[in-house]
Amino acid sequence: MTVIFGIAAVMAFLGAAGVVLSRRTIYSALSLVTNMIALAVLFLLLDAQFLAAVQIIVYAGAVMVLFVFIIALLAPGAEERLRPLELRVLVGGIAAVGFTLLVARLALNGITVSASGQFHGGLGPFSPQAVNAHGQVQTLGEQLFTTFLLPFEVTSVLLLVAAVGAVYLSRHRRTVR
Amino acid sequence: MTDLFPGFLTLSAAMFALGALGVMVRRNPLVVFMSIELMLNGGNLALVTYARYTQTMAGQVFALIVIAVAASEVVVGLALITLVYRSGRHLDVDELSEMSE
Repeated sequence: MTVIFGIAAVMAFLGAAGVVLSRRTIYSALSLVTNMIALAVLFLLLDAQFLAAVQIIVYAGAVMVLFVFIIALLAPGAEERLRPLELRVLVGGIAAVGFTLLVARLALNGITVSASGQFHGGLGPFSPQAVNAHGQVQTLGEQLFTTFLLPFEVTSVLLLVAAVGAVYLSRHRRTVR
Repeated sequence: MTDLFPGFLTLSAAMFALGALGVMVRRNPLVVFMSIELMLNGGNLALVTYARYTQTMAGQVFALIVIAVAASEVVVGLALITLVYRSGRHLDVDELSEMSE
């Protein structure tokens, strides 16, 4: 398990770095696909099989196909290379490394886990064994339609608004300059 | 088994930080959108990590909702980008500052 985590984590990190550092937009998109597939593997390691499948289908499938279509449609040229000594790149890089190190420090012995390795709030009833015995999708669906019904309904309204908005924006108008 | 817990959290923080860096330093709006996806994915990883290690379900449910939000955000964002491109402007976020004036 540790070996698989190491491989997937390195893949996810390299993919994430590739998105930011690639000069061509299409290379950024392909790096993001690598990152998302590695992330699906990490979800499997975290006993979230349904989310791993959703990650592959929705992100690596639908969203990235949309991105690649738009990139092929607009054909943006290559950007100039990022100069590491430019002020905003330097400050942003230092802030990113600092944030990561801070979270690593807090995760190792920090605020959420006590010294004995226990979480402060205690453990919930959804252990991987209990979830798998009841069924992963069943458990998630029951939670979605009982405890988290309001966020679920708000999300469906959001999706409707997004669909209407996209249709409105992509309508052909001659008044646009 | 809390052995890999710091690893997952650190990776999610690294993905979030790289995404924020991309939003700050890149000029192409398509890459900026991909960096936002990266940040959302980093947040998702943290949510699922906490859901697994505290043995609760809220993290997984909200990761699912974040995926839906990210998909709708991409739809509207890419429609905006194509609209900007069709109006004859160069694809560069630094040049799209006329709304602030």
